[in-house]
Amino acid sequence: MKKGSAELLVLAVIEERARHGYEIGRLIAERSGGALTFHVASLYPLLYRLEARGLIEGRWVEKSGQRRRRYYRLTADGRRVLARQRTVWQQFLRALDRVAGILPA
Amino acid sequence: MSWHQAIRARLGSITGDPSLDLDVVDELAGHLADSYAAARASGMDHDRAEELALDELKDPATLEHALRIARSRRSTAAPSPGVAVDDLAGVLRRAVRLLAASPGFTLAALLMLAAGIGGATAIFSVVDAVLLRPLPYPHADRLVAVWETDRHSSTVREPASLPDFLDLERDARAFDALGAIVAGEFTLAPPGGEPRRLAGLSITQQLLPMLGVTPVTGRLFDAAEHRRSQADTALISERLWRTAFEADPAVIGRVIHIDDRPRTVVGVLPDHADVGMLQWLSSADYSRGFADRDARTRVDLWLPLPLDVQALPRSTHPLLVLGRLRDGVAPDAAERELSGIMVALERAYPENEARGARLEPFTDVVLGPARPGLTALLLAVGLLLVAACVNVAHLLLVRGLARRREMAVRVALGGSLSRLGLQFLIENGVLVAAGGLLGVGAAFAGVRGLIALAPADVPRLADVGVDARALGIALTLMLAVAVVFGLLPLLQVRRLDVQRALAGDGARSAGADASRTRLRSGLVVTEVALAVVLAVGAGLMVRSLVRLQQVDPGFDAAHVLKAEFQLPESRYPRSFRTWPRWTEIHQFTGGLLARLEALPGVTGAAIAAQHPLDAGFTNSFAVVGRETEAKDWPEIATRIVSPGYFGTVGLGLVRGRALGPGDHADAPLVLLINEAAARQFFEGRDPLGARITIWGMPRTIVGVVANERFRGLDQAPPPAVYLPIAQNPLAGGVVLVRGPDPAALTGSVRAVIREQDPQLAVFGLQPLTLTLRESLGRPRFVMRVLVAFAVLALLLAAAGLYAVLSCEVRQRTREIGIRLALGAPPARIVREITSRAARLTMLGLAAGIAASAALTGLLRSLLYEVAPTDLPTFAGVALLLLAAAIAAAAVPARQASRTDPAISLRTE
Repeated sequence: MKKGSAELLVLAVIEERARHGYEIGRLIAERSGGALTFHVASLYPLLYRLEARGLIEGRWVEKSGQRRRRYYRLTADGRRVLARQRTVWQQFLRALDRVAGILPA
Repeated sequence: MSWHQAIRARLGSITGDPSLDLDVVDELAGHLADSYAAARASGMDHDRAEELALDELKDPATLEHALRIARSRRSTAAPSPGVAVDDLAGVLRRAVRLLAASPGFTLAALLMLAAGIGGATAIFSVVDAVLLRPLPYPHADRLVAVWETDRHSSTVREPASLPDFLDLERDARAFDALGAIVAGEFTLAPPGGEPRRLAGLSITQQLLPMLGVTPVTGRLFDAAEHRRSQADTALISERLWRTAFEADPAVIGRVIHIDDRPRTVVGVLPDHADVGMLQWLSSADYSRGFADRDARTRVDLWLPLPLDVQALPRSTHPLLVLGRLRDGVAPDAAERELSGIMVALERAYPENEARGARLEPFTDVVLGPARPGLTALLLAVGLLLVAACVNVAHLLLVRGLARRREMAVRVALGGSLSRLGLQFLIENGVLVAAGGLLGVGAAFAGVRGLIALAPADVPRLADVGVDARALGIALTLMLAVAVVFGLLPLLQVRRLDVQRALAGDGARSAGADASRTRLRSGLVVTEVALAVVLAVGAGLMVRSLVRLQQVDPGFDAAHVLKAEFQLPESRYPRSFRTWPRWTEIHQFTGGLLARLEALPGVTGAAIAAQHPLDAGFTNSFAVVGRETEAKDWPEIATRIVSPGYFGTVGLGLVRGRALGPGDHADAPLVLLINEAAARQFFEGRDPLGARITIWGMPRTIVGVVANERFRGLDQAPPPAVYLPIAQNPLAGGVVLVRGPDPAALTGSVRAVIREQDPQLAVFGLQPLTLTLRESLGRPRFVMRVLVAFAVLALLLAAAGLYAVLSCEVRQRTREIGIRLALGAPPARIVREITSRAARLTMLGLAAGIAASAALTGLLRSLLYEVAPTDLPTFAGVALLLLAAAIAAAAVPARQASRTDPAISLRTE
């Protein structure tokens, strides 16, 4: 996987709204049809790293009757990075396609 | 098992760090719970779902990595390469958290640091202030005590006579200056106040300028004051000025009454003008020290010494002489010059027969007596400091071992060694800083404790304060140990098999392990050896003190109260023409004795020149008809007593008769001798009826009494004569009262003396048992401190042994478990562990005993009838150490023998 792709995936799934860690992992798995999965041990370090870089922001949310969950949302910086990454990936995938013909016609 | 537990168990086993961020665990637990719930919802059974959830945790190394990032999550700055400054605060916080998380380790290390730093600093501070610092006088290295010697009696530290001193002062060229002192006790009677007894010095004019003493206020004596035979001026100490005169500057010019004589105060002297008088006096062969350990051990009064050779002829020797050598003059040369002068004096005056001169560095005179004890303590505290260092090193090694896997993981994940090193450094730095802080407290408390414990004859105690240099050195040493041994595990990480460390039990990389075990065994052996040396030293002192306390002093102190008094000459005239018929004095003595004997609860009363623990005076003497023989005899102790003395102090009559009322001033002169005198001077003869010439008059020996150890329990009883008070009146001395409860008599004895003479100062009022205890102050002081050190060292050694053994047991859990499963009897496992403890202890014992044998010679001068290589002490210490070792081994051994094979395999 290209460097930074995992980052892109996480940023993308929390683009529309804040999500907690399990949800992020599940959404990535679902949307990729099970092709991309994260374990705890790879997901959380990534989240913390992104948080440390100021791209996402975690916040504890407690709802009555449930245990507390930590929700991550995109920061302004995160949004900019996501947009830039999208562009980079689009260029990259197009380049790949031109060479290797990987995108559906 | 909850998800939290599952996570903590896994993380715990990797990091060895229980202070995990709760948030992280919570978050991960939430994830696992969701994962499980989803699996169940999809129709999985419980076991399968749980397995799936837990599967997420299968890679704990990566989880650890997650944690590490999580820790820095709160820092808003982007992570930078190297160590950011704001990161330091985090590392510091983490260090404190880590230390708080293992309270056992931290507490042990803190205590060792505090004991090592505090103990070493306190003792060094005392030794430095008392022994090492030069005396506070200009050219103190050139100050010498000038003694007279007597070839006949082989005395080498005799005070000088006034005429001898004046001749030496006139003729000697080797000195810048010479000064002399006559020490005495005086009664100061403030108007309307309680009379108080003071230690005072009559001095020659040169003395204070030679010592560079300048008055706090006022002036010193001038030359004219010394020439006048009836000088009426006085100098007082700063202490007396503050306590008795409220530091009133108008004290200069004021008239005070000393021994009922008016004197004008001309100056106030600083405390160090004391000159170390107590030590100087007690080092002299014939002189009376200040009797008690109260205010009188410090000099409060200086009077001009009248240079009156009629009053102080060549035959009396009361002068302590101090000289300052001319620059460049060697002490030997000065002594040769003085000896030459003394030879001339010997030719000129019959009183000077057999007399010579001897010099002794003044520093040795003042500090000499305290030296052996303090040197021993300095050495002991050095050993204790080493023991504390070794233990701290040991603790850090054990801790490093426990954290090996954590280190391996970090290094495997690319954590830099330098960052890891920094963290260890900071952790240990925090530890040493905290321990050091405690140590500073311990040092202050220790100095205070030592001053309180120290016997009165340790000089310069007032100058003792915590020494900053000593504190600095001790702290630095500890810090160095912490750095070296804190980083040692880090060096081993390079050799660590990361795979193994991660896979399971990190403790099984055989090579590194063996060397580490050797190092730690070495440390334990050192700890045991140090404990042995300290315990042997303490044991010797204890045995010696027990011996001393078992010594029969010859008198019975348990039921005796003493009080001291001095009769002023103004109301109790003592003319040599009427001697010994001094009516007023005899009336006082007789009246007081009658009153004392009439007191309820009193079974005996006496008045004497000295109490039984006061060495008192000696005089030259001869047996009539054996005068030539007597030339080579030493002087004999002269004790003047009332007839009731023997019954009051419980001194037994051996032969002849005791003194009685018949031995009055007009009766034939008589005396008693003690057994020591009978043995030394009447071997093979009958002393009874023989006559002894003393103070120019022959007196008949009428009895022989038992020996009293009045020069101290550790000194053989000297030969003595006892003379009746009626024939040898006393202008001052002690009152001795016998009763079943002597302490209870204090009030009534004081009252009775007041009744007899309301203006008299009564002092030194205390049970004789207390006086006896105080006479053992020095050995008891050294013994107490050594025992404290030995106990500490013993605990350190036991703790070290325990740590090594229990760590070994943990490492061998699997092996022991398998052996037990295969049927090895638990007793055998216990035996193995115990014998390992015994082996280490034996090695330590061997080294410690060898070192002790080499070192305890330093205690020789402090020991009484106990050899420095006393076998029972050494054997006792060996047994004690073995017992402590077995006790230390018991817990790990039992743990090992109870190892459950199943658990032991699973923990891998």
